[in-house]
Amino acid sequence: MRIYEELFIAKPDAPDEEVDQFIEQMKSVVTTAGGTVDKVDKWGKRRLAYRVDKYREGAYVLFQFTSAPETVKEFERRLRVTDLVIKFLTVRIDETLKRLEKRKKDRDKRAHRKATAAPAPAQPSVAQQMLGEPAPAE
Amino acid sequence: MAESKGRPGSAGQRPTGGDKAVATQKKQYFRRKKVCRFCVEKIDDINYKDVRLLSSFIAERGKIVPRRISGVCAPHQRRLNDAIKKARNIALLPFAASI
Repeated sequence: MRIYEELFIAKPDAPDEEVDQFIEQMKSVVTTAGGTVDKVDKWGKRRLAYRVDKYREGAYVLFQFTSAPETVKEFERRLRVTDLVIKFLTVRIDETLKRLEKRKKDRDKRAHRKATAAPAPAQPSVAQQMLGEPAPAE
Repeated sequence: MAESKGRPGSAGQRPTGGDKAVATQKKQYFRRKKVCRFCVEKIDDINYKDVRLLSSFIAERGKIVPRRISGVCAPHQRRLNDAIKKARNIALLPFAASI
């Protein structure tokens, strides 16, 4: 099982119900194949950076799901077939998420070590400076 | 006695430090050292959906800014490249922007 992220652009002139219906359909594609839909995020209409199929804006929809690699094939085939979708992008994110988690853990660990280790040597040196400087002047 | 010894010592050290500082400032070209923004701000995730972040690394015409100019370190530039190319693919960023 892998985690995927699917971002697709629906036609801006399509009615909202049609888009919702399509999203439900895609959800069932994932669930029937034994995967789980983790997140569905509708960004709403956005301006496209360049013209796609004569459209200057599009309704972005972000899907996040966990499934086997074969499911993605079917998912993409459906996206290609429907007239509603003008562009899509599939990204596998499980490895990226793992990497990020590791980085975060390392960073936390380092911060923790610093917090526990730093006060001990730092304070005496400051104290020495404070004690050391005024002594010759006075 | 303690007073007289302490003062000359501290007075003698300061001017030498000042001279050195002047000498370095006299250099003809002064370039500010570039630092990688992702390292400094501790941005781990360079995501293709983060258009605002990515757009600060593309030039006016939509080209990716080279790292000799932006100062981004090599590992981060690699990830930045991937993210920008993904964003272009899904029409979040332009391949070639018109001015």
